[in-house]
Amino acid sequence: MRKPFFLGASLIITIFVYLWQQNMSMRLAYKASALQSDYDKFNSENDILRLKINSNLALEKMDKIAKEKNLLRPDEKHIIYVD
Amino acid sequence: MRKKKNRINRKTVLAFATLTVFFLLFAKLAYLQIFLHGRINRAVEKMVNRENVEVPKRGDILDAKGNILTTSIKNYTVFLDAKMIEDFETLKEVLSENGIKIKEKKICDFKNMSYIPIAFDVDSFTVEKIKKTKLKGVGFEAKYTRRYPQRRLLAHILGITGRDGGGLEGVEKICNANLSGETVKTKIIRDGRGQIIRNKSLNMEEICGCNIELTIDRNIQFIAEQELRKAFELYKAKKAICIVQNPKTGKILAMVSLPDFDCSDKIKDIRRLRNSAISDIYEPGSTFKIVTVAAALEEGKIKISDTFYLENGKFKIAGHTINDDHKIEGSATLSGIFEMSSNIGMVKIAQRLGGDLFYDYIRKFGFYSLTGIDLPGEAKGLLMDVKRWNALTLPNISFGQGIGVSALQIINAFSSLANDGVLLRPFVIQKIIRCNSEEEIFEKKEIRRVVSEDTAYIVKKLLKNVVDMGTGKSAKIQGYTVGGKTGTAQKVDPSIKTYSTKYYTASFCGMVPAMKPEFVVLVIIDEPKGSSYYAASVASPVFANISKRIAEYLRIEKDDVK
Repeated sequence: MRKPFFLGASLIITIFVYLWQQNMSMRLAYKASALQSDYDKFNSENDILRLKINSNLALEKMDKIAKEKNLLRPDEKHIIYVD
Repeated sequence: MRKKKNRINRKTVLAFATLTVFFLLFAKLAYLQIFLHGRINRAVEKMVNRENVEVPKRGDILDAKGNILTTSIKNYTVFLDAKMIEDFETLKEVLSENGIKIKEKKICDFKNMSYIPIAFDVDSFTVEKIKKTKLKGVGFEAKYTRRYPQRRLLAHILGITGRDGGGLEGVEKICNANLSGETVKTKIIRDGRGQIIRNKSLNMEEICGCNIELTIDRNIQFIAEQELRKAFELYKAKKAICIVQNPKTGKILAMVSLPDFDCSDKIKDIRRLRNSAISDIYEPGSTFKIVTVAAALEEGKIKISDTFYLENGKFKIAGHTINDDHKIEGSATLSGIFEMSSNIGMVKIAQRLGGDLFYDYIRKFGFYSLTGIDLPGEAKGLLMDVKRWNALTLPNISFGQGIGVSALQIINAFSSLANDGVLLRPFVIQKIIRCNSEEEIFEKKEIRRVVSEDTAYIVKKLLKNVVDMGTGKSAKIQGYTVGGKTGTAQKVDPSIKTYSTKYYTASFCGMVPAMKPEFVVLVIIDEPKGSSYYAASVASPVFANISKRIAEYLRIEKDDVK
């Protein structure tokens, strides 16, 4: 009586493990896809922000702002190099 | 007994019926699995599996200090699928809130179409906002577009890309293979709701293009562009060129050709794409005199102490008269000839040297051959074969007429003297940075020794005298010694087929500090208009402004404390 019971139980467990890992792999694939999309999104946002920094620090733009604010190039003696 | 028989019959029928159903199901299954499996598999694969082309990000171009000069940004084309739209009014409102306007009339015209593009170059922030509304009938197509945060700066060096993203000019063209990256096809699975499941995670950074680091410093480039543009506009010149080079390495620190263009705008005049600094040839005039003097000194045909009779400013050769703009009475020393840029003195030096030797030195200095710079469209120049020279060729070339050179060749020749007589290959690309952070570094490359260290030293001293006492006085800068040479060359007028008295090319090439140069600057102003066309009043002041700012920026130690 015990033998068929264990046989049935192990069969059910095997099927359960198989189905669970199938389901899990599918769920992980969805998660990986979502993470990949997030990664691509952050990468692309990072690119945009880097471009913005470089555009804002463009020398042509800074020179234009300096002219608008009537700023003059400092005398060499008054420049302190910090690096 | 009869009752029992009936029950057996009923059980048998039921069992038989059940078995028949199972048998039929099994038969159907066997039919599907064995006979139709190929067709079904193909249909499912078609529905579920998709081949995705992953377009890599084109590499960035950086300056010598890592500032971005050009980069690629993922932008989107927003399109409508007319068949899928459920609530057009809400859709219109949402798109309008995000700066995209659509006309109902236009949509009605394409109501059977699944792809109606309505906005281009939409950034990812806007796309995310629209996506969050989960509206049906709106789609997004990603595409990389090239951006130039520094606007006009370095336009000729960076070049442009075509519609397909391939490089067409400048570094974009020369490094296209490195910048492009690798297009990869990946397999993705789409579920019933259209959601994508990747069977393999792809690191986009592994397939993206390499970054290119230039030798050019954007600050030096900006100084050169700003000062040159002022002169270009002031003299209403046809063209203007400025190159800054490190003579010790051959690195190009700045290269400007005007008129220029903005890489971000649509280019209306295709001629503006031409990088005059390397592609155009001109007659150098007196700046070429360094070749004559260096060659004669190297061959021992003249000595620094030699004096030459200067024919009172008029010298007849083969029926032609050669004039000196700055007339010197009687005789002059080599230094005096150089300081006052005497054409007659230069002719006499070249005559001592002879045609064959002079031709050899012209070639040794790199003229009439490509410098090998890593930019497309370099010009070789023009030089008549020595066997075909007539009585006037040698005298003319001795003071820089009758020869066609590129601006790059002139500055490279000056740099060879600044580098103690060794000619180097000029270059603008110093590093290729691969996605895995591996770096390919380009070092300086020696072409040949042109003259000895001693000859180079004497020529540097002569160039210093030109700025201290001669025609190049306006190139002086406070705190630094400067060595350089002016050049005012008449241009050939094609309508009269001889040298024009109206059109000139004013140039100045010099080095700072004079005896131990850290950088060499060449300024060329083509066809300046106004009261003066002389290099001393047109090109030398531009050189002085550029050099002073660069010397201060590079924090070069002051060597002229007077």
